[in-house]
Amino acid sequence: MRSFLPLLGKELRALFYSPIAYIIIAVFLVLMGYSFTLTLFLNKFATLIHIFFQSAGLLFLLIPIITMRLFAEERKAGTLELLLTAPVRESQVVLAKYVASMAVVLAMIALTGAYGIVLAAFGSPDLGPIYSGYIGLALLASTLVSLGLIVSALTSNQVVAAIVTIGISFLLWTIDSLAGMLPEGLERILISLSLLAHFTPFATGALYTSDVGFFVSTTLLALFLAMRALARR
Amino acid sequence: MVTPVIVAENLTKYYGSRLAVDRVSFDVRPNEVMGLLGPNGSGKSTILRILTGYLRPTSGTASIAGYDVVTHGLDARGHVGYVPEDVPLYTQMRVNEFLEFMGRVRGLDTKRLSASVDEVVERLSLGRVRQLLISKLSRGYRQRVAIAQALLGKPKLLVLDEPTNGLDPRQIIEVRELIRTLSRELSIIVTSHILAEIERVAHRVAILLDGKLLSVHVLGGQDGQTRLRVRLRAADEAALRTHLGSVPGLSIIEAAPSLGIYVLDSAPGTAYAIQALVQGGFAIEEVSATGSGLEELFLRLTEGAQR
Repeated sequence: MRSFLPLLGKELRALFYSPIAYIIIAVFLVLMGYSFTLTLFLNKFATLIHIFFQSAGLLFLLIPIITMRLFAEERKAGTLELLLTAPVRESQVVLAKYVASMAVVLAMIALTGAYGIVLAAFGSPDLGPIYSGYIGLALLASTLVSLGLIVSALTSNQVVAAIVTIGISFLLWTIDSLAGMLPEGLERILISLSLLAHFTPFATGALYTSDVGFFVSTTLLALFLAMRALARR
Repeated sequence: MVTPVIVAENLTKYYGSRLAVDRVSFDVRPNEVMGLLGPNGSGKSTILRILTGYLRPTSGTASIAGYDVVTHGLDARGHVGYVPEDVPLYTQMRVNEFLEFMGRVRGLDTKRLSASVDEVVERLSLGRVRQLLISKLSRGYRQRVAIAQALLGKPKLLVLDEPTNGLDPRQIIEVRELIRTLSRELSIIVTSHILAEIERVAHRVAILLDGKLLSVHVLGGQDGQTRLRVRLRAADEAALRTHLGSVPGLSIIEAAPSLGIYVLDSAPGTAYAIQALVQGGFAIEEVSATGSGLEELFLRLTEGAQR
């Protein structure tokens, strides 16, 4: 713990002292604000379902931009050598980067809470689906951040890290589309791997422990693999 | 018996199928400066990276202050300060901020951290640039910052990978002096592909080629001996040996008779050795003081190994 806090501080400073975090948050809020306003005026329904799906889509593009530099930049600059030869555990380094990235993403998601407040002020939205939608977004973000961490731990090229993370994330989002073409056993496996299949219930107001378990376990597995990737030197 | 700070036994490292370090064994004693000398690609940096825990050896063991670098890596790394070759630093941080970060990562509590940062800032003369961004510093100052972070918390071992690379002559002299001063407090392992650099600072030198340790050489000048490199005209080696054998305090350390080059140890000093040679009727063409017979040894070993 003694080494974790300075590591976390360094990561937060790197994100918030540079324009990266602010630009990503600003772009996300502008696009979501535009979408929220447009949909509200057209549909006049007090719901955020469409916002949750559109947020998820944007997270697929923006999270890899946050995570691409985490290890790739340090490896290229040589500072990873400085860090890993200090008396710290690989797990502390990985967790510090994960927590700092999640802080940015959660701040970004939390700011869209203003839409819920607007709906509550001018209508009577069903709050259950709104809460579950936010829980789903946070869990989806956690899986995407940890996926980005593994990829970044395997390369020193930030662009490669971002593109590969986007590719893997989209494949996992839509992998259930392939299911219909496959035999029954494989079909079930593909559906169980689909991020979309596990996210949809959250966005529509249903909260299943199996979906929570899926996102938590994929996060833990990805973080573990990122630690292994770092340890394999 | 003195317990070594580093004990490396049969260290071997493969990168894929390429053998980078081949069964290298050596030790480093307290307050000793050990030089690793070898051409680029001879495995020097790989050995340092294994010792500092950045790379894992394919086989063999290494321990720092009694802690195995693989099985007790955290404890071993707690005793090491490391300055990698290209001096990587967090350039977006200020010098003070960076040193405090590295100190905290090394587990220093607030009280010790402040005292330790002040001490290294003073020692490396960083006071003037303490509040500056590292990205604004010159190469020389960056090198000082890198050494300063390595000294935080008083490690038992300082590991310097090519510490004079890219420095101007004045900065090279400063680094050399610093190594000498620091060796009174801790052990140092330093790499270089420049023979003269190693010769000036190290007590012992491990000569590496193609990942193999060819020899560990004790440098002269450590016990009050003056070591001279002389070039004689048309000298008969046997006659020279016979003559010097009768002169007390003089001995031949290395000989390259075909070139007329001899390395001599002279306890009474340079003038005494020259006088003895002249009295023996040997025509001296060149005399230079040398810390060792390292140059001759290095050429002989590396030529022999490459043949």
